[in-house]
Amino acid sequence: MITLDHVTRRYQGFSALEDVTLTVADGEILVLIGASGSGKSTLLQLINRLQDPSSGTVRVDGEDIAGIAPEQLRRRMGYVIQGGGLFPHWTVARNIATVPRLLGWDRARIDARVTELLDLLRLDATRLRNAYPHMLSGGQQQRVGVARALAAGPSILLMDEPFGALDPVTRAELQAEIRRIHTETGCTIVFVTHDMDEALGLATRIAVIDRGRLVQLGTPLELLTRPATDQVAHFIGTTDRGLKLLAVQRVGDRVRPGETTPGEPVSAEISLSSALSAMVTRSQDRLPVSDPAGAPLGTIHLADLLGP
Amino acid sequence: MRRVQIPLLAVAAAALGLLPFLRHARNRLLSGQPIDSYVSFGLASPLWTVGFALGLGLLVLPLFRPGALTRWTSLLGAGIALAAAAAIGANAAAHLAAAGSPAARTSLGSGAWLFAATLLLLASDTARRLRFGLAGLVPVFAPLALLLALGTLAPLSLLREYAVQHDAFRAAFGQHVALVLGALGPALLIGVPLGVAAQRWAALRRVAFPVLNLIQTIPSIALFGLLIGPLAWLGTMIPGVSGIGTVPAILALVLYSLLPIVRNTVEGLDGVPRGVRTAARAMGMSPAQTFLQVDATLALPVLLSGLRVTAVQAVGLAAVSALIGAGGLGAIIFQGLFANALDLVILGALPVIALAVAADLVFRLLTAWSRAALGGAV
Amino acid sequence: MAFLTRRTVLGAATAAALAPRADAAAPVKVGSKLDTEAALLGTIVLQVLKAGGIPTESRLRLGPTKILRAAILSGDVDLYPEYTGNGAFFFNQESNPVWKNVTQGYDLVRRLDADANRLAWLPPAPANNTWGIAVNGDAATREKLSSMEDFARWAKAGGAKLVASAEFVESPAALPAFQAAYGFKLAADQLVILAGGDTAATERAAAEGISGVNAAMAYGTDGAIAALDLRLMDDIKHAQMVYEPSPVVRQAALDANPSIPGLLAPAFAALDGATLRTLNGRIAVDGQDVAAVASAWLKEKGLLK
Repeated sequence: MITLDHVTRRYQGFSALEDVTLTVADGEILVLIGASGSGKSTLLQLINRLQDPSSGTVRVDGEDIAGIAPEQLRRRMGYVIQGGGLFPHWTVARNIATVPRLLGWDRARIDARVTELLDLLRLDATRLRNAYPHMLSGGQQQRVGVARALAAGPSILLMDEPFGALDPVTRAELQAEIRRIHTETGCTIVFVTHDMDEALGLATRIAVIDRGRLVQLGTPLELLTRPATDQVAHFIGTTDRGLKLLAVQRVGDRVRPGETTPGEPVSAEISLSSALSAMVTRSQDRLPVSDPAGAPLGTIHLADLLGP
Repeated sequence: MRRVQIPLLAVAAAALGLLPFLRHARNRLLSGQPIDSYVSFGLASPLWTVGFALGLGLLVLPLFRPGALTRWTSLLGAGIALAAAAAIGANAAAHLAAAGSPAARTSLGSGAWLFAATLLLLASDTARRLRFGLAGLVPVFAPLALLLALGTLAPLSLLREYAVQHDAFRAAFGQHVALVLGALGPALLIGVPLGVAAQRWAALRRVAFPVLNLIQTIPSIALFGLLIGPLAWLGTMIPGVSGIGTVPAILALVLYSLLPIVRNTVEGLDGVPRGVRTAARAMGMSPAQTFLQVDATLALPVLLSGLRVTAVQAVGLAAVSALIGAGGLGAIIFQGLFANALDLVILGALPVIALAVAADLVFRLLTAWSRAALGGAV
Repeated sequence: MAFLTRRTVLGAATAAALAPRADAAAPVKVGSKLDTEAALLGTIVLQVLKAGGIPTESRLRLGPTKILRAAILSGDVDLYPEYTGNGAFFFNQESNPVWKNVTQGYDLVRRLDADANRLAWLPPAPANNTWGIAVNGDAATREKLSSMEDFARWAKAGGAKLVASAEFVESPAALPAFQAAYGFKLAADQLVILAGGDTAATERAAAEGISGVNAAMAYGTDGAIAALDLRLMDDIKHAQMVYEPSPVVRQAALDANPSIPGLLAPAFAALDGATLRTLNGRIAVDGQDVAAVASAWLKEKGLLK
């Protein structure tokens, strides 16, 4: 658990963060979103002491991090930046091994972990292990960056606009990877972005930061249905709001149980917008729904998409 | 390849045909009578003429049958032609000496030097097209080295000067190398930290570079002169420090070496991507670990490249320091200038050139190796 | 006994080892300028002193006059051969006519340097290495030239063409002094001016007739004169300052090694103009090794075993 308590960060007369209080629950994905220069990256960097607050306290698992040596703190957390920030003069394996080496793991354990992570990030271990970063594509470099952050098995993962420099297809792939890794490892993720769609797709909760202040903290659904200020509403975007609403809700929440319909079933886990897309594709106004295991659950109607 | 080789061969032929191959003088001071190649070849043993022809043949073979093997033999051919030409000169010199007085001197003429220079250019061009071209130094210079060792070239004026100056030459060579190394050490110890600091603090960078640039523009002799006074005064308090000799020479060399070292340190560190530094700190590397494992390692090739410039510059400047009593090969050059014995000047200048080329090669190799060790990332 | 603890014994031994030993003299640092004659004289000094049992350190060919003067004043060098006439420049007395007199000039510089700098000028060699004019041998024979008076006559007749350094032509003590004393003036087309003061170059030019020159700036003891078949014009009216080579020693080094004057005197006394020219010639023209020439001559004179 990460707690920021009335945290302010000022330098050279400029106020980057002003009286921010928020808590990141264990195992959730908290997305910090805001315009450029809003202070979201600064907030992230307060967590691993790349910056220190001018006033206020930051606590990790109850402990005031001001009392922990920065290097010790950072080796317990993963950090991913845009482009990966890979060390260009080290191989992929050596890059990933950075924190384990700092922690003094033995060779065998490091080698095994590198293989494990390359597999986790769906990278061809045999081919890429001894490659240098400049030989990899942007997407591959970012995957290695994530692998490197996860190397020592941290419970907290900090990500600073990691997918900003990638093309949309790769970005979508990597977002899916993060969701999968989050599910598999259960780590707490604090994710900074300026892309609302990315935020809506990934977040358990979203914190909207504007000019150094926390404007709203809530689930994607809350932000979409009850934006706290005009800025937030503007940030969410006025067009396609309906589609965004559909995107953050699951078929499983609206299914009519027991009802059967012919045709190939869709999973209860998919979003309402995917269901809408399927209906349009099949030219049907209802779809059969099954649970993740494949057992039939019920049906969803087009009208169900319009709200409870 | 033909574009370069043909004109160079033409120049070599012109050098042999039109310019004097040798000069023969009654004594060491006179400029002497020119002797053309035709006469020289005639005076020498036919064996060398055959060798010369063979060498030339191997040299031009790649023009007709290109390939790695003919290129290697071409290098060997250049070496043989060079050695044979020198031997012909020496042979002819021996004949002329037998006929004249003991003070008479025969030296290589402008034609011989130009011929040698074009041959070396041809060889370096060929070597560049080979994989381990650097090893080409061996076939090109080995035949000449062999003749030198055997004493075949002794009758030439240049070698006779060397015979007289033998010990002084050895001492001067050692002093020269000592001056260069003695300056590079302190220059690194001062320049690298200064560069690291200048890269970090813009205020220091703004002050340091103009000052260092100013120092570079001071002519070396003027700098030596400026240092005499303060150092002599310092010498009254600290034993071993004096206004003349090794101390001011090394001090001046260090000052001149600072600019390339500081500049390249800053450039190298500037070249480290910002995200990489942030990532290193975020991983939990201490400032020292970040600097050593990331910044310094990534900046190393650029620094080595700067050291190359520094070393070559120092070799040249060390020659001037003979004027303030620091010794080195410059002492031999100036002795030759004062005595108006040009072969003595050449005896001093050739090793300086060789040292400069060697320093350049060594650091090129080091830079390339360091780049490779970094996985080609820099 | 209490006071003979290990510490006191060790301390006393260390003090004894580190204390300067009055009986062991520091080596005498012998320097010289860059040119041939300077190196020859310096080598002669080194060999004579070494034979006399004095420890020496060679600093030959250190640099030009300015460097040597600074070195002996600061103690970097204990002894080097300097010319009596240069006293005029060290003490800013260029216009003093006393420098043209052999003995008076030497006495003056000896007194001045002893008083001001504690430097001792030992008795000089009877060889005048002053500026002179050397004429091409064929021209000299043809025009019957042997003295500066003859040269003046020839110059006024328009036959002479002199090659010299800028300093020689402009310095009041050099060519202007000759012209004033012998009543001639070289026209602009009778002069070829070189940038540096290299008499080897000027002498070679006069010998080979380069650019039509037939007379060269020369120094009195240059080795090339005879070898190049040049004739040095005799300065019968003593228009030039006298430059006799004399060993200049720091008084401190003399006090530590009082045998130095006795050792050097016979060697320097034997170095007259003709001898110096011959020896210089062997080095500069024949290219022999300085040390070999010096030791051969010293042995010939019985000053070296």
